[in-house]
Amino acid sequence: MARAKTTRSTARPAGPLRILTAVPICDGHDSAVTTINIELARHGIEVIYLGYHQPASAIVRAAIQEDVNVVGLSSYNGGHIVFFKEVVDQLKKGGGGDIPVFGGGGGTITQADARLMQRQGTDRIYFAGTSLDSMMAEIKRHYGRAAKPNARFKGDRALARAITLAESGLSFPLLPAPRSRNGAPHRSYVVGVAGPGGAGKSTLIDELTSRFLQGNPAGRIAILANDPSHPDTGGAILGDRVSAIYSQDDRVFFRSLATRGSLTGLSAAAPAAIDILKASGEFDLILVESVGVGQESDPFRIFGRGPKLVDATLFVLAPYYGGLIQLQKIALLNGADLVALNKCDHPMAHTARAEIQARLDQNGRGQTLHPTTAAKHFDPGVDALYAAILGLSAKSK
Amino acid sequence: MNSLGKIADSVDAYNRHVAAEVARARTDPAFATALRERWAKIRASIETTHSPTGTALPRLALPQTDEPGAIAEYLLGQGLPGEFPYANAAYREMYLDKVSGTGEEPMRLFAGLGLAEDTNARFHYLGQHQKSLRLSTAFDGPTLYGLDSDHEGVLGKVGEGGVAIDTVEDMTRLFAGFDLTRKDASVSMTMNAPAPMILAMFIAAAKRRFGPGCVPNLRGTIQADMLKEVQAQNEVIFPIDASLRFLCDMIEWCVPNMPRWYPVSISGYHIAEAGATPVQQAAFTLANGFTYAGLLRARGADVNEFGPRLSFFLDCGLDVEYLVLGRVCRRIWAIGMREVFAANPKAQILKLHTQTSGRSLIAAEFQNNLTRTAVELMLSYMNYTNSCHSNSADEPFTTPTEQYATLASHGQSIIMEESGVFKHMMNMFGGAPGLLILERQVEQAILAVFREMNTLGGVLAAQEQRYQRSKIQEAGHNYEKQIYAGTRPIIGLNKYVNDEPMPSVPLARTSPRKQRLQVERLRAFKQKHAKKAPAALQRLENVARHGGNVFAELVNTVEVCSLGQITACLSGVVGKFRPMV
Repeated sequence: MARAKTTRSTARPAGPLRILTAVPICDGHDSAVTTINIELARHGIEVIYLGYHQPASAIVRAAIQEDVNVVGLSSYNGGHIVFFKEVVDQLKKGGGGDIPVFGGGGGTITQADARLMQRQGTDRIYFAGTSLDSMMAEIKRHYGRAAKPNARFKGDRALARAITLAESGLSFPLLPAPRSRNGAPHRSYVVGVAGPGGAGKSTLIDELTSRFLQGNPAGRIAILANDPSHPDTGGAILGDRVSAIYSQDDRVFFRSLATRGSLTGLSAAAPAAIDILKASGEFDLILVESVGVGQESDPFRIFGRGPKLVDATLFVLAPYYGGLIQLQKIALLNGADLVALNKCDHPMAHTARAEIQARLDQNGRGQTLHPTTAAKHFDPGVDALYAAILGLSAKSK
Repeated sequence: MNSLGKIADSVDAYNRHVAAEVARARTDPAFATALRERWAKIRASIETTHSPTGTALPRLALPQTDEPGAIAEYLLGQGLPGEFPYANAAYREMYLDKVSGTGEEPMRLFAGLGLAEDTNARFHYLGQHQKSLRLSTAFDGPTLYGLDSDHEGVLGKVGEGGVAIDTVEDMTRLFAGFDLTRKDASVSMTMNAPAPMILAMFIAAAKRRFGPGCVPNLRGTIQADMLKEVQAQNEVIFPIDASLRFLCDMIEWCVPNMPRWYPVSISGYHIAEAGATPVQQAAFTLANGFTYAGLLRARGADVNEFGPRLSFFLDCGLDVEYLVLGRVCRRIWAIGMREVFAANPKAQILKLHTQTSGRSLIAAEFQNNLTRTAVELMLSYMNYTNSCHSNSADEPFTTPTEQYATLASHGQSIIMEESGVFKHMMNMFGGAPGLLILERQVEQAILAVFREMNTLGGVLAAQEQRYQRSKIQEAGHNYEKQIYAGTRPIIGLNKYVNDEPMPSVPLARTSPRKQRLQVERLRAFKQKHAKKAPAALQRLENVARHGGNVFAELVNTVEVCSLGQITACLSGVVGKFRPMV
């Protein structure tokens, strides 16, 4: 085992430890990292998993936006000396120099490599044969420090830290908008995206993000992805970034939020996080993804029926919702401003479309149903849905 | 496209047929006589050979019985080597001629490191004692992901873990000095998502050297198995339907134009390395194979034309199921292809490449890896694999160094040439009680997986629901847990540990100077073709957009475009793959 290069505070953190894990670019070996992700979550850690074949720039962007305690890299096909150094250097440059990087690569990273990598800024390397239990204990001891306000943080890191403080139940700074376009105060349009698990919300959000990036050459978009914490361990695997291929862009601020016991479908810190993002004046569009919900109350209202947290609600469902009775029970179909039937390439889609449209007609609010197939590249249904969001946003101004 | 349920049923039906024929042999005297006569004829046709110590042996060992039921069971249930259902072997004599000096060796050694000229030198070194020319190429990460060596952030990966290929000029350097048109030449390439681009470069490079008429003579295999990439190995560039379309375009082009080439190697190796059990490996791989057959048939291709050009690749580890995995796979494939796809005998034969297990090799006390690989080699050959790669003991640390690559290669020669196990007699083990029990258990377990996937809608639908990935990950976690719990003994890791310090082994790594050289070469190529490249890419884009055969156009595109330029162009048309957790 490599010796720790630095010693860190052992003070108990205010919230769970947050770790970003990833596999470097041109490497698809994800078997070790998925095992470790599960172990980390089992030990009460929030794991933000970025996926395999990840460039240093994407790892650094995610580490900063997620404001993680530490970055863990699993590298199995060589080039680790150059790659780890690139991550460490880019973290420093991007305002995340305080975020340590650890890693492992079975036998591919030798003792001599590890010494060189540590001289170049990597915090530690775990070698083949390290037991998972000792690794977990050490990670918790070594990296489990509480987040504190830091006035030197700028840009996305400052936003990310404010959200971390809100998640920890601490007071957080609302960063005033540094710039306003046309002299007027900048307004963000906030859309809440809800729907049952497996409906394809994350993919749809990523496809909407790609439309946004194409249509706004200079604008920025923010995504708050809420995912459940494990009720027993408190850990979570926040994996939305893995399939968010278009969100790997500096114009996208992507933050994963674990619910940490909140039962509303959103993290208890989500309202604060929305305020923080809005106040920054950075973002034209903010998409808030709830955990898989449907029949319960509206996650985008405080206490389910109080004031709205968002400007509009998009409800997404897939064709296999289980028949008409189930459809009647979905409370969100009453209140949603937009409804998307995703996975329209499914054999049930035709029937589902008619049933859902009839269900929406009952509401008498003129809600239109948007058939989408987000998994399909350049799906015209997603184009139409994005146009509808723009329409609502324009009306609200 | 989904025929897994039908295939599982057809295997069960065949087993019932065998049982009925065995019963008939015991009750119908005319049938019994016919079987005895055939048996006697087979026996009479078997030549005798002699071991070096003078023992006389038949070249084919048959069960020592004249009981008609047992004869029927052997001939129909297992089949003579080279006969349906091919449990014993794909061909009648397999290794016999090869070790006696007339045929090709089954050994195929995988190599790839640094720049094209470095791998070329390794090929020349490894092949210096081989009679036939059998090359197998590993590519570096950027090439496997379809990226150029000058792509942002990949420089450290250039030439690591395999050879860096950006252009047709690199491909020319890679095979310099080898006559690829020789009858006994065969080139294998472990290349998947960008397989169409890389094979097009291979063809273009061969045409430059041997003239445009050489293409029908080119012989070898390109892996190109995109389903296992999505399920296990994660080297995917384009969305799944586009990836499958490009693959089928390539297969359809190769079948008539490159009749000696295997345009896909349906691979369980990476499925097993990612964590799958032997049964899962076999089930997912065969199911993927049947899915490709279904896709090609749906495009109007003839199963008797493409069937013989499909090849398979399995991992061989140390678990007991590996004693029979190849045998069982050949049998299920043959029955499924015959009964469900109406394929003729040539298209029923599963041709198998085996590689010893990389996952079974560990860094601690790594010289034990020599023994592990030797045992796995023995198991591979007991399954009568058509070709085989043995891993080097130093692989947990590095791309194989010359020393350990040589030991791995000599390990095969010791088993095949020094030892008499496989030299004199076919069917040395088939029909052993333990093998028969294992075969039945493994076969039924594979069919159970087929049926489960069938209820999910087949391979593609199951894949969308992450079925294979979840199963593979779960099995991988179990394997790790067994190691930590000590219920899976790994000598030197959790048992009989000597606590030796990690050895310092020489590493095969690519120097930054070479990595920069590769980038310079690529830039020179791009500059040289800066005028022609845009039009070539435009033509490719048009073909891709309008549903033409992309491979037919790629053969032209690679003359003036780099791998990364082509990837970007195709991605612009079909989009990017969205990874699954």
